[in-house]
Amino acid sequence: MQHKGIHKKDAYWLGFIALLTMLPMVPAVTANSFHMHVVILILLFASMSQAWNIIGGYCGQVSFGHSVFFGIGAYGAGMAVVTYGGMPWPGILIGVVLAAVVAVVISYPCFKLSGHYFAIATFAIVEIFHRTFLVWDWVGGALGLDYPLVKEGLTNLMWYDTKTGYYYCALVLFLLIFGTVRWLEGHRFGYYMRAVREGQETAESLGVNSTVVKLAAIALSAALTALCGAFFAQYNLRVDTPMVMSLDMSMKFVLITVLGGSGTLVGPLLGAAVLIPLQEYTRAFWGGMGGGVDLIIFGLLIILMVVKQPAGMIGIFYAVRKRILKRNIAAKGESADGAP
Amino acid sequence: MKHRSPRLKSWILFMAVIGMLLGFGPGAGSLLAAEKIIKIGTIFPLTGPVATAGQRCQAAVQTAVEIINNKHPEIKVPLAKQEGILNGYKIVLVHADSQGKADVGKAEAERLLNQEGVWALIGSYNSSVSKPASFVAERMKKIFMCGSSSSAALTQRDMKYFFRLAPTDATESVDFVEVLKWVNKKKKGSVKTIGVIYENSEFGKHAAEEAKKAAEAGGFKVITDVPFTPGATNLDSEVQTLKKANPDAVLGAVLGADYSLWVRTMKKANWKPRIIINYCSGYQDPVITKQLGADADFFMGSSGYSPQFASLMPAVAAVEKIFMTKTNGVPFDGNSIQEAVAMLVLAQAIEKAGSLDTEKVVKTLYENTWDSPLSLGGKVAFAKGGQNIKAQSIVTQLQRGEYRRIYPEKMADGKIVFPMKPWDKK
Repeated sequence: MQHKGIHKKDAYWLGFIALLTMLPMVPAVTANSFHMHVVILILLFASMSQAWNIIGGYCGQVSFGHSVFFGIGAYGAGMAVVTYGGMPWPGILIGVVLAAVVAVVISYPCFKLSGHYFAIATFAIVEIFHRTFLVWDWVGGALGLDYPLVKEGLTNLMWYDTKTGYYYCALVLFLLIFGTVRWLEGHRFGYYMRAVREGQETAESLGVNSTVVKLAAIALSAALTALCGAFFAQYNLRVDTPMVMSLDMSMKFVLITVLGGSGTLVGPLLGAAVLIPLQEYTRAFWGGMGGGVDLIIFGLLIILMVVKQPAGMIGIFYAVRKRILKRNIAAKGESADGAP
Repeated sequence: MKHRSPRLKSWILFMAVIGMLLGFGPGAGSLLAAEKIIKIGTIFPLTGPVATAGQRCQAAVQTAVEIINNKHPEIKVPLAKQEGILNGYKIVLVHADSQGKADVGKAEAERLLNQEGVWALIGSYNSSVSKPASFVAERMKKIFMCGSSSSAALTQRDMKYFFRLAPTDATESVDFVEVLKWVNKKKKGSVKTIGVIYENSEFGKHAAEEAKKAAEAGGFKVITDVPFTPGATNLDSEVQTLKKANPDAVLGAVLGADYSLWVRTMKKANWKPRIIINYCSGYQDPVITKQLGADADFFMGSSGYSPQFASLMPAVAAVEKIFMTKTNGVPFDGNSIQEAVAMLVLAQAIEKAGSLDTEKVVKTLYENTWDSPLSLGGKVAFAKGGQNIKAQSIVTQLQRGEYRRIYPEKMADGKIVFPMKPWDKK
């Protein structure tokens, strides 16, 4: 029976919040480091994809260039530790600010392009940065940056014997980015972004400055992405260009969000929650067999999922909700007819 | 009874697949834990641009394990005549795919050590993967045997649990410069200038740096330095840069399929220097060499093994027979054989230590010189930092599809063709 005081939408939100409150307890439930690794990656990739979702989902500008910002964040943290022998925190801050500045500078001309042309331009930007960083000795070039063995803990943002520290950092990152996007959804700026997505000319005719909105959206998206990149570097204790600043990495931002449900708050989480375990467990189980069996199975599962539900995981969620609602209505109808 | 809709059924099927995936995921192998076994993890690039090389490295470790676990009186390598080690312990391999990526290699090293409970690791072919993966092992005080990664930096980290069998790109660079001096002396070669082409990776960049250092120390002038992105689809501009500079000699650090592309692009550009010497690379790959046919001829490179070394390493033939059953008839190459040696030396050290105490085995590894009939020179010994100081390689030249031993002269079985014949005169 539905309580009159609780609206259905509120019930879903309460469920989501309940899920979030349980997240801090995960390390107590599983001490298994591989499962912890998978959960950390889910939180990280959900956060990365949510950061992309700001510009790609809410603002409708499909960018394949986010690995550039991710890489800038990773190099910021990596250089602070490896090149300058300090703590990662100042590097993270510099990386976040720099990523936002770079995003604005490179996006300003690109936003004059629309649709597919914008996407193609962002592809090219990744390639330019990728090749530049590969030959740039100051950032480690092709050798990359390998972290030294330093004291573990929050000060150096690295842990060796346990993943619990990384888990809580990933959780904070997740809450920060999801919280920001949730706040944006109800904010005037969020409406501006959606207006630009639905029709730039229409939005402009209503007084929305689409260029400013898009630049602000990509700056925010890039800054949050850089934060994720810094965490990725601290987690892997290595930064190199193919790892953090590649088309491969850029595709992950898009794939997870589209799979989960673009332009929705829970979409990136759903996408990461499905895609990351699939990627990690297929590799763990079948990777050693060689011949890419794991990648074939992984690919087939993605195809199956996309064919079954083109709207993404969020589409499945809506379909299930619709089915439950229908069943409830049918049950009420039967009760009204006096059926048992 | 209610009938489920076809849509629902297909979703149930889909979720069942996911369930199977998770249920039989990592950890399923722990059933073996109660048996008298030693689990060893392997991490190689089984997919990606250097997958064939990685798969052969994996097959080499499997071959070594087959010899260790079973009686093979016909094979003349240590441990072949007995069954298992430590009075009946058998080695069980747990394989992982690094995809040639550093982050994946690191994650797999953690999974193998924490989840699968492997006792030691072997890998990872790519130096950029060996580095973070061995870092994980070092932190967890577990042995990491590295067969073929050649970046000199790997053994300059002063790690305690890391051991590398192959010669480094630093020693190879010195050898290459010696070859150039020898050519100048012997053949009145007048090689003065050098060009370096390398993939922009941990391996390539290090090789190029060592090449430049050794060249300058040897009195040669490096006049061009050409990096390229691994997995390139086009090397026209890189080859044109080399052609324009026209160095007398080229030193190459070009892996896998990139090597074929490089050779074919040079043919297209109708240019060759007087001599080309390669680091452990596509040059050593017998499959790539076969694919290139006559175009591969007269290129040179260093190698720890090729089938033409049979007279120097008579014990290899019987081992190679087993190996070839796993690789569809492809013989050992200089890289894969080092991975077999890594496994065999580790097993010998466990046997000699008489214990599975990692500290004891590490101490034993450092304190002894190991018989290794699968190694050129027949011995293995480790210096501080884990480098095999007995590692040797021979500079060979491909002549009619065969690796002819050229340098050092005392090990030669052929004469160098110098300068390389032009593309149109074969």
